[in-house]
Amino acid sequence: MTREIERVAQIPVAQIATIVPIMLTVGANRIVPGVAIPHPVGNPEAGPEEDKKTRRKLVLRALKALQADISEQTIFES
Amino acid sequence: MQLKLHKVKVRDVRWGDVTKVQEGVLYVDKASALEAVKDDAFAKVDLELARPGESIRIIPVKDCIQPRVKLSGGKEYFPGFCAPLQRAGDGATLVLDGAAVVTCGSIVAFQEGFIDMSGQGARYTPFSETNNVVLVVEPTDGLDKHKYEAALRIAGLKLATYLAKACMDTKADEVATFEKGSIAEESAKFPGLPKILYVCMSIAQGLLHDTYVYGTDVKMSFPFLLHPNEVLDGAVVSGNCVSACDKNTTYHHVNNPVVRDLYERHGKDLNFLGVVISPESTVLAGKERNARMSAAIGADLGANGAVITEEGYGNPDTDLCLTAKYFEEAGIRTVVISDEAAGTDGKSQSLADATPEMNAFVSTGNVNEMIVVPPMQKVIGDPKAIALLSGGSAESLWEDGSMYVELQSVIGSTVEIGYSQVGCEWV
Repeated sequence: MTREIERVAQIPVAQIATIVPIMLTVGANRIVPGVAIPHPVGNPEAGPEEDKKTRRKLVLRALKALQADISEQTIFES
Repeated sequence: MQLKLHKVKVRDVRWGDVTKVQEGVLYVDKASALEAVKDDAFAKVDLELARPGESIRIIPVKDCIQPRVKLSGGKEYFPGFCAPLQRAGDGATLVLDGAAVVTCGSIVAFQEGFIDMSGQGARYTPFSETNNVVLVVEPTDGLDKHKYEAALRIAGLKLATYLAKACMDTKADEVATFEKGSIAEESAKFPGLPKILYVCMSIAQGLLHDTYVYGTDVKMSFPFLLHPNEVLDGAVVSGNCVSACDKNTTYHHVNNPVVRDLYERHGKDLNFLGVVISPESTVLAGKERNARMSAAIGADLGANGAVITEEGYGNPDTDLCLTAKYFEEAGIRTVVISDEAAGTDGKSQSLADATPEMNAFVSTGNVNEMIVVPPMQKVIGDPKAIALLSGGSAESLWEDGSMYVELQSVIGSTVEIGYSQVGCEWV
C-alpha cells in the first residue's frame, strides 16, 4: 500500500511498523520502527500515560519523516 | 537417552463399553472419556468419532494430539500438564498409532481450521488418515478467551492421555527405538561426521499464539537446546490459535519428521546434535536476540550445518531470515523449510522478508492456493465457521455445502516441518 500510494498518488508515505527488515524488503521509503506486532503504535503494557506518550512520539516522528528530504530508504529512529 | 515407542496400530475407532484396543479397533467408553475431560470452563462437552474415508467435516479445529502414555521412565504424559515434571524422552511410551484426538471449538475464530475426512480436502491434511476422537466443547458464558484456550488445550491432552492409558496392557505391533548419548559421547563416536543442529522456530507471541515446553509458555524464553527424544516424547505442546495450515499441532511435535529423519541418519552420514526451540517474538529486538542466540548455540556446539523450520508466515519470515543469516555468518551452512504466501495466482513475493544468506529453501506449498472441497454428509462443529477462518470468507460456503477456500484453512496443509504431501516445483 505504501509503495502504491507513493507511485500512483505521488504522496510521500511514512510507514510505522514493527519489523523493519520487512519494510526494507517490501520497499517502504520512510520507515518508523513501531513497538510490537500486536500494538505497533503504542505501548499499552506500560500503562495509559506511557502509552499515550509513546503514541504521540511515534506519530510526531512519522510527521517528521514525511517532511524529510531523502534519497534512499531511510529509518527514522529519532 | 533411550526412548522406545510401543506403537499399537489403530485402524478403526468405535464406541464401546470399555476403552481398549482390540484387533486394531480403538473402542471408546464415551462416559468415562467425558469424565476424564470435565472442566468447569465448559458449558457442554461432547465426543464424536471421525474415520478415514467418511463424509465428515470437522470445523473449527484447534489442535490435534496423538494418544500416548508413559509405560516406563515416567508417568502419564505431557510433563508439566498431565504428568509430573519429569524429563521426557527416556523409557517406554505407548502410542495409539493411527488415532488422534481433535479439539473442536472456536476461540480466535479466524485462527482455527478444518479437516475433511474424504474428498479433495482430505488430501491436504494428515488428520484425514487418522481415526479421530473429536472433542467438541461449548464454553461457559463470558469465559475469558485465554481461560477457554487453556481449558480446551488441557482437555485435549487429558483425553489423549486417557485413551492411551486405558490401552496400556495392549501388546505393541511395533517398537521404534530412539537412542542417542550426550553430544560429547556421540561426537567421540562419530568424529568424521558433519554435526547438524535442528532449529525448530515456534510461535510465541501471546494473544493465544503460544507454544509450551514442559508446561511453560516460551514467550519470554531464550532459545534453548532439547535432546531429540524430548521432542519426540511430549515435551512440546501447541497452544496456538494461528493460521491452520502451518502451525505445528501437538501431534506434529511428537512426530516431527525433521527430528525423525535426522535421527535416522545419525551415525550414518551425520551427527545429529539436537533440537533448538527458538521462540518467534512480536518485537524486532526479540527476533534479533533469538536468531543470534540460536546461532550462538550452534557455534558453541561446533555445528557444521543447521536445518531451520518456520512456524506460521508473515512476521516469522523475519525470524527465519535472521536465523539463516546469523548461522551462515557463523560459518554454519543452513537449509530452511517454509511455506509461501504467494497469492492466489502464485505470483506475489512469497515471503514477507528476504536475505541473501537464505540460499537453500525447501517449500511446503502456497498457503493462498484456492481449492474447492465437496459437501460432507456430516459436519462436526459449525459449518458456518468457515466465514471467519483464515483462508475462508463469507462467500466460501456454497449452498450445496461445498466450500471454495484457500489451502491455509486446512489443518496442517503446508506445515513447515514437512508433515504433508504438498510442495512446490521450481519453475
